[in-house]
Amino acid sequence: MVFSGIPFLFFFLPLCLILYYAVPFSWKNGILLIFSLIFYAWGEPLYILLMLFSTLLDYTNGRLMERFGTTKLRKTFFLCCSICVNLFILGFFKYADFAVSLVNSMLGTRITPPGIHLPVGISFYTFQTMSYIIDLYKSEVKAEHSYTAYLTYVSMFPQLVAGPIVRFADIQEQLHKRTITFNGMQTGFLRFLLGLFKKVLIANQVGALWEEIRMLGTANTSVATAWLGALCFTLQLYFDFSAYSDMAIGMGHMLGFTYHENFRYPLTAISVTDFWRRWHISLSTWFRDYVYIPLGGNRRGIPRHLFNIAVVWFLTGLWHGASWNFILWGVYYGILLMLEKYIWGKALAKLPKLLQHAYAFLIVVFGFVIFAITDWNALGTYIYLLFSFASNSLADTRFLWYLGNYGLIIAIACVLTCPIYPWLCQKALTLSRPKRRFLSAISGMAILLLFVLSTAYMVSDTYNPFLYFRF
Amino acid sequence: MITETKIRNIVTAILCIGILSLSICLLLLPKKDFSENENRYLTKFPILSVKNVLDGTYTASLSDWFADHFPQRDFFVGLKSQTEILSGRKEINHIYVAKDDYLIEPYAPPQNTQRIIDTLNRFYKKVSQTQATINLMLVPTAVTIHKDLLPQNAPASNQLETVQSIYTGTEIPKIDCMDSLIAGISQGQLYYRTDHHWTTLGAYYGYLAFCEAKNLEPVPLTSLQKQTVTEDFAGTLYSKVNDYNHKKDSITVYTNPEDCLTVTYIDSNEVSDSLYNFDYLTEKDKYSIFLNNIHSLIEIENQTSSSEDVLMLIKDSYANSMVPFLAHHYRKIYVFDTRYYKDGPSSFLSEHKEINDILLLYNMNTLDTDSGIRGIY
Repeated sequence: MVFSGIPFLFFFLPLCLILYYAVPFSWKNGILLIFSLIFYAWGEPLYILLMLFSTLLDYTNGRLMERFGTTKLRKTFFLCCSICVNLFILGFFKYADFAVSLVNSMLGTRITPPGIHLPVGISFYTFQTMSYIIDLYKSEVKAEHSYTAYLTYVSMFPQLVAGPIVRFADIQEQLHKRTITFNGMQTGFLRFLLGLFKKVLIANQVGALWEEIRMLGTANTSVATAWLGALCFTLQLYFDFSAYSDMAIGMGHMLGFTYHENFRYPLTAISVTDFWRRWHISLSTWFRDYVYIPLGGNRRGIPRHLFNIAVVWFLTGLWHGASWNFILWGVYYGILLMLEKYIWGKALAKLPKLLQHAYAFLIVVFGFVIFAITDWNALGTYIYLLFSFASNSLADTRFLWYLGNYGLIIAIACVLTCPIYPWLCQKALTLSRPKRRFLSAISGMAILLLFVLSTAYMVSDTYNPFLYFRF
Repeated sequence: MITETKIRNIVTAILCIGILSLSICLLLLPKKDFSENENRYLTKFPILSVKNVLDGTYTASLSDWFADHFPQRDFFVGLKSQTEILSGRKEINHIYVAKDDYLIEPYAPPQNTQRIIDTLNRFYKKVSQTQATINLMLVPTAVTIHKDLLPQNAPASNQLETVQSIYTGTEIPKIDCMDSLIAGISQGQLYYRTDHHWTTLGAYYGYLAFCEAKNLEPVPLTSLQKQTVTEDFAGTLYSKVNDYNHKKDSITVYTNPEDCLTVTYIDSNEVSDSLYNFDYLTEKDKYSIFLNNIHSLIEIENQTSSSEDVLMLIKDSYANSMVPFLAHHYRKIYVFDTRYYKDGPSSFLSEHKEINDILLLYNMNTLDTDSGIRGIY
């Protein structure tokens, strides 16, 4: 079930919230769990068993580690059990086909790929459960005794299929004791709507143009059109992904949970390093805390540091999908981060701010081209088109045509990639009370209007993609 | 005293009540099977089975059902189109929102040109063994004739190139109606604003080109009875764009008082004395008044015709509004819609020796994907 669809918004969510608020606290986790399982089963009726197995395993391992993990060696044993099974499950369901085709192409064999369809959200929830067991090993979290609470944590529908990757340590206390306030419900609801607007009114629209441009074929794509396509995909991915995080954080609020922010205006970054502090934060901190730092981070000399960066970014790329382009995308960032660390980082920081923004933005947009196109040949062609200044026309009427049709929505999207809203809120605080009231009346009406528009788009839209089916 | 908190509460309350009342309406209100405005059948409530639950099709069609039967769906669909138009979109649902209130269907790059040429040539070989003369008329659509009405910077269409390559690829003598249509632009509306068909006037200019090629004396428009039968025609393009404020079309029909016709719909065993079925005026698809919608084979006899010629007309729906003009010049016309006529007209041709003229008439927009033209073997 996608958040931005009629069944979720008009049935699933209201029903879940009404019941959730109606029952006493001791039942709340149960209600949440039941609804989360329905949510998952709606899209993955079979693989729900896999998720139940995965959580039961980590829950049991946690209990065993608590009970018998008296020595470091024993603890390590339970940790390894859990990590190995989790990685095996992830590896098998996500990468089996990819690995088989790799073996086939290297050895010239003809093994038939198993043709497994990837369970939705598997990359998110295996990372969540692993965070629990690793933190338990590091004694940063207490073992969870209630399987219901643990399963609720892993399967919680707001963040189950598209993140953010919530760590058990951040949420354990809230699982047992949380206060649900009217203010929290309201703030959460408005945050959810913000995400809904971003997804339905912006991401889907610019996404449709990207789909059209990528299918155009070489003869009809001028350089400007190719860049416009790349910009559209960048905007689509950002607005889609951050919208999912907004909706998750908002729903978390409504249910009484506080999640960390997952995106902090990443397209306004001033360097690649900065971008990764702002983009999909829950994933990059996961890799930082559970891979990069255990490997030694930057404290074991330059060669080892470079190696560590390489490992982390290879894995980050691979996490996004079982395909070469994602690995290439990860490696691309790994190399750029190394270069920023050791070659031009300092010089970059001395440039005018505007140039720093432009530098990071271009790298990000180009990076998402690698991310967007899984087919090698198609990717090569598209990159060629981006730079075919000499052999191709720079801009054609088709480019102007797209600009006329989508210019406004792209401009709005570009403006909204900047922190306009927090800035406005800051400004509003300095205004007089009547002016503030007027402003909030205006924004209230805007929210109602945008809600009606989003409903209209959801009712009539045939294009409502779920981009994370590869993650 | 209204405070900021109060405003927030009011907004939240309106949203919650709105969501709940829409969901209750969606569950309780009676459902339609067919959307008149969108001209399509709406999703049926899915049937529960183990198989479709497990493979996910159950929940997928359930989601479609929710969207299709949403309360005030027409309002919301229209709102989306109007918002898009307002935001500067000139292409909605793959239809150009062109100047002078025209909705124009773009020409999709053709995929089957060579296959069509081969089929036409095969048919021509068969026809050459008989006495009948044959002509091919490909009708360009509004995207070509009204090129100047297209929105600014709209991608160019190569419809005429396809017309030319088919004309040069087949040996069938061509009737090029392009010039005649261009000449007609100043005389009135040649294509519907909201539909993909040509108007009766457009069809008349096609007929003029036909007469010129066949050396026939065309009946002047002034000697025909003209009748505007509706001003409320919202055609197929209207249904794709769903801008419910869009101006609708009128349909004009012409009848020749000299003709005394017997129209026999062979497939449905209906007989009529008119080329029109005005029952369709109460329905959504009003273009169906011409030749009573779709029929695989129609026989039209004109008792008062001075000619002894018998025409075999192999066509798509564009021809339906041209037949009223053609009927005057033939004692009998066999009208084939080869999408539905399964036996292939060539066997019919060898069984009916009286046929001495054949016209293939197709419009360019649907030609490439028309399965009918492949059935003319």
